[in-house]
Amino acid sequence: MPAYYLEVIVVVLGLTLLLVEAFVPLGDRRSLAWLAALGIGVVLCLSFLVSTPEQAEETGRFSALYATDGLALFYKRIALLTTLLVLLMSADYRKILHQYTDPERPQSQAGLGEFFTLPVFACAGLMWMASATDLISIFVSLEAVTMTFYVLVAFMRRNVGSLEAGVKYLILGALSTGFLVYGITWLYGITGQTELSAISEVLKEGAVSKTAALFAFALILVALGFKVGAVPFQFWIPDVYQGAPTPITAFLSVGSKAAGFVVLLRVSEPFIASELISSNVITILTVVAGATLVYGNLAAIPQNNFKRLLAFSSISHAGFLLMALASTPAGGAISQFSISPVSAISFYLAAYLFMTLLAFLVMTLVRTQRGGESIDSFRGLAKTSPFLALTLLIAMMSLAGVPLTAGFIGKFYVFLLAVNQHHYWLVALGVVGAAAGFYYYLKVVRAMYWEAPEDTSAPAIEVSMPTKIALILLIVAVFIFGLDPAPLML
Amino acid sequence: MMEQLPWLILLLPLVSAATILFVARRVPNISALLSTGSALVTFVMSILFLGFGDDAVVPAYPWLWLGGTLEKGLVLEIGLQIDQLSRGMMFVVTTVGFLVHVFSLGYMRTDDGKARYFAGLSLFMFSMTGIVLANNFAMMFVFWELVGLSSYLLIGHWFQKDSAADAAKKAFITNRVGDFGFLIGILLVWAISQTVNFDRMETFFAGNPEVGSGLLAFAVICVFCGAVGKSAQLPLHVWLPDAMEGPTPVSALIHAATMVAAGVYMLARVAFLVEASELAAHVIAWVGGITALVAALMALQQDDIKRVLAYSTLSQLGYMVMAVGLLAAEAAMFHLFTHAFFKALLFLGSGSVIYACHHEQDIWKMGGLRKKMPLTFITFSIATLSLMALPWVTAGFYSKEAILAAAWHESAPLFVIAGFTAMLTAFYMTRLVLVTFFGKARTEHAAHAKESPPVMTLPLILLAIPSVIAGLPFFYERVQATAPEHHGEGSMLVLAASVITLIAGAGISFWLYKGASEDPLRIKLLARKFYIDEIYQGIIRVFQDGVATLLSIFDRYIIDGLIAQLPAYATASIGSILRRLQVGNLQGYAFLFALGVILLIWITLFNT
Amino acid sequence: MLTLGHYLIASGLLFSVGFIGVLLRRNVIIIFMCLELMLSAANLSLVAFSRYNQTAGLPDYNGDVLVFFIITVAAAEVAVGLAIIVALFRSRQITDVTAMNSMKN
Repeated sequence: MPAYYLEVIVVVLGLTLLLVEAFVPLGDRRSLAWLAALGIGVVLCLSFLVSTPEQAEETGRFSALYATDGLALFYKRIALLTTLLVLLMSADYRKILHQYTDPERPQSQAGLGEFFTLPVFACAGLMWMASATDLISIFVSLEAVTMTFYVLVAFMRRNVGSLEAGVKYLILGALSTGFLVYGITWLYGITGQTELSAISEVLKEGAVSKTAALFAFALILVALGFKVGAVPFQFWIPDVYQGAPTPITAFLSVGSKAAGFVVLLRVSEPFIASELISSNVITILTVVAGATLVYGNLAAIPQNNFKRLLAFSSISHAGFLLMALASTPAGGAISQFSISPVSAISFYLAAYLFMTLLAFLVMTLVRTQRGGESIDSFRGLAKTSPFLALTLLIAMMSLAGVPLTAGFIGKFYVFLLAVNQHHYWLVALGVVGAAAGFYYYLKVVRAMYWEAPEDTSAPAIEVSMPTKIALILLIVAVFIFGLDPAPLML
Repeated sequence: MMEQLPWLILLLPLVSAATILFVARRVPNISALLSTGSALVTFVMSILFLGFGDDAVVPAYPWLWLGGTLEKGLVLEIGLQIDQLSRGMMFVVTTVGFLVHVFSLGYMRTDDGKARYFAGLSLFMFSMTGIVLANNFAMMFVFWELVGLSSYLLIGHWFQKDSAADAAKKAFITNRVGDFGFLIGILLVWAISQTVNFDRMETFFAGNPEVGSGLLAFAVICVFCGAVGKSAQLPLHVWLPDAMEGPTPVSALIHAATMVAAGVYMLARVAFLVEASELAAHVIAWVGGITALVAALMALQQDDIKRVLAYSTLSQLGYMVMAVGLLAAEAAMFHLFTHAFFKALLFLGSGSVIYACHHEQDIWKMGGLRKKMPLTFITFSIATLSLMALPWVTAGFYSKEAILAAAWHESAPLFVIAGFTAMLTAFYMTRLVLVTFFGKARTEHAAHAKESPPVMTLPLILLAIPSVIAGLPFFYERVQATAPEHHGEGSMLVLAASVITLIAGAGISFWLYKGASEDPLRIKLLARKFYIDEIYQGIIRVFQDGVATLLSIFDRYIIDGLIAQLPAYATASIGSILRRLQVGNLQGYAFLFALGVILLIWITLFNT
Repeated sequence: MLTLGHYLIASGLLFSVGFIGVLLRRNVIIIFMCLELMLSAANLSLVAFSRYNQTAGLPDYNGDVLVFFIITVAAAEVAVGLAIIVALFRSRQITDVTAMNSMKN
């Protein structure tokens, strides 16, 4: 089965869901979310049946536009898994959503259908991003995803925070799109090509203006830095994360970031491989990585809103990932004592998926049933809901990078890369950042385990069966890949 | 299928433990049968395993890649070591393990925590198998810790009793002290040889005989620390006697035959390291010799039947460690092999006695059990004779003879110590048998004692057989035990020494304790175990009161104030400044965005 | 004779006008228009590049194709963007971006 069938199936699934919502009388529209999750799960299984490039023998124009390599498949699976979990979260989030979309009519389920269907379309876009190897398809897939997110972020149209977040994301997102398009234009102008492989050859020959090439790279880096949350283009992240509906925040922080990184990997590869400009490119990536590490970790320390804390955490993880990217050896030769940055980044992102979604799943439950997003809302959670507290503890430990968790291995590989490339400043900043991480992640743990609940009579938080299964599987994943990372290595 | 057999041996007990924990926990009888069944199957499999040649290829699995290659670098794999050493050891572990499982079916019949107990036993079998089969230090260390964990769980099985909970804690913490050194040792050896795999390590040290002698000696002594903890050598021996708070079958399996032997096994596994460093070898030999002597002295005045055996175990382990230090690892493994059978038998026999006397453990409250428990008495006596090394007819004779011969060749003072220890052994074992089984019953319980049920006596009988014949070539060669090539052929002097010490020790003891109803000897120093526990208590108190105050001052003002608070304050204030950037205003963000763009383009274009 | 450079300078000016407009104007609708201007600037240079990167006497059509995609995406962006702006106006009666600052720090 060719790989692009997966995207086709996901799009068809989205259309089907819209039709079902329109024509089939559903008692509880949450079943739509479960249906969508089921469909995405099936596609996830199908992704293991996809034929490799060797089997497919794709030739001609299409294979230049659309990669079916291991990297693409890996990020497609990340996108699918994220969407699946986001859909489960969305089903749990229905109450809050209703409160801010149609509060006058208590029985109304208006808008729910779209809220459950749009992530499916976003997923198709993310999957396409993973395969895009041509500037045109990169641009179109990126925009398809971004535009879906505009709608989803601003979805709670009676909530000032959500709308405000939507407008901020819209304006800043469109601004970054402007830079992306302009950068692509320049890259096309100096190389005369839109396919990355062809661009790579032109850049390797070195018959282009160095300044123009670097200018194009800087412009594209602005746009992609915006997507992954790199300093100095990260300002939207805390506000948008805080305002958006929680499942969408999770989707943004995992799916959008992962897809942004795969595009960044693919786009920066020709630049790093070119002797002419690689040292400049590495320098700028190092600077951005260092700034991101410092900003993400230090600005997270004073946060009291858990969602905002996770936003800064997301920036800091972007810093670690950029640190790995900046440690790409010029020319791409990898010594036997090192690891390829692509594998390190991919593993890190997969680990990040597990632990972040774990945190967001718990947060959604706390938000809907305890009604708050501040760290104070988590006080005494260990007493009332020990399982959820333990889950969040594991997520926080992995995010902080405690050994035996997947988060630790991810950070270890990043540091290994940076040390091998002698980026000692980056390593120092990374160590400071990781140490600060222990402080702010464990803040939540302290609230859960050492502080009394605000309301002692609060009932235990109910966890639906699909969510419970998802939580347990994610915990298992955090530990399994913390013990044996090999299965997740590209 | 056959090449996967060792993996099955390793994983089956784990499956059993997991099944009990997650599924069968509420049905104790099924749990017990499950665990015993898995022990039986692994026993059968390890007999099949004996048929493997040294060149048998067992698949290994890559585990953790941390840079470099398998030959040279930070790569860990999960692989199994298939050689005579591991095959012979597996036979011992599974044989004793299986018999202990069977014995436990009777001994723990009415225990409330039966399912938990058997899950613990299975977990222990898994961990112990892991140590035996591990082909690299990292994997061995993981299982080493797992063994510590399962030992903790089993010692503390009756955790309602404070003494049991304390003993479990003590065992765990004392072991951790040794393991700390062990870990450092592993890392040092890794740093020196660039690999953790035993085979590659051996090749490396064979090829580089002069490599870093000082550092290597330190590394080997650190590795030895692990063995000091696990095999309860001086000065970390204190946990083993206390560990007797656990159920008696556990004492037989873990604290006599297998786990405490893990330290010796590990040293034998890395015997090439010991050979590479003369200094380390001397340290090991002397620690072993002194442990053997001191523990035997302590055993003289113990009144608890299990404690006598515990100190005797310490003493015998001292013999084995000494043999390793004398570069006679085969002799050590041979003694480990024979000792496992007769010491397990002694413990199970004592368990049978304790069971019959309603959990009475004081030998002075027993007496006259010879007639009431004939099977227990006979098997116990056989094991005692084997431990005392009765010439030619017991297994213990051959192995102890090998160690004495090694000492005779290498070091005269250690030979004297070993000989004297042998005399003490004969003394305290004769005392134990006389007081427990002869004379008159001194309490009601002893008077009404009955022979234990067959499920308990059968393992005794089965263990009595190897206690006699394990020293003979036709047996130990078949089960591939490691034995020195010329055992028992030491000089006449060695033989004479062992006969004389045996007769002297047993004779004096017989003369003193024949018909005694209370102990005619009262040596407080020995009864109180040289006050080592009290000394440790004192040291700990000094630490807590004095050094801890100093540490706390250091911690509060230097660590916390200077190293933690200052940077914490600095980062927090930078954090608060950075958060101000988050102005919340769209236009502000657009401005910062623009600044960022300008900065980025400037750095990219003009700053390299 | 117009050269590629002329087009690029015009496009760069257009881009800068758009960008500065985003930075300085407060009305969200006008900001949105300025963003569209930035996309148009890119379109202009793309067409110019396409015209001047000729192969065998024909323009390189890849650039033109990209222009069509950009126009389409821009249209979609306007559709979604205006809907969000309208929703914001209906709930708070504002179009001034400086008034949107309920979340910060």
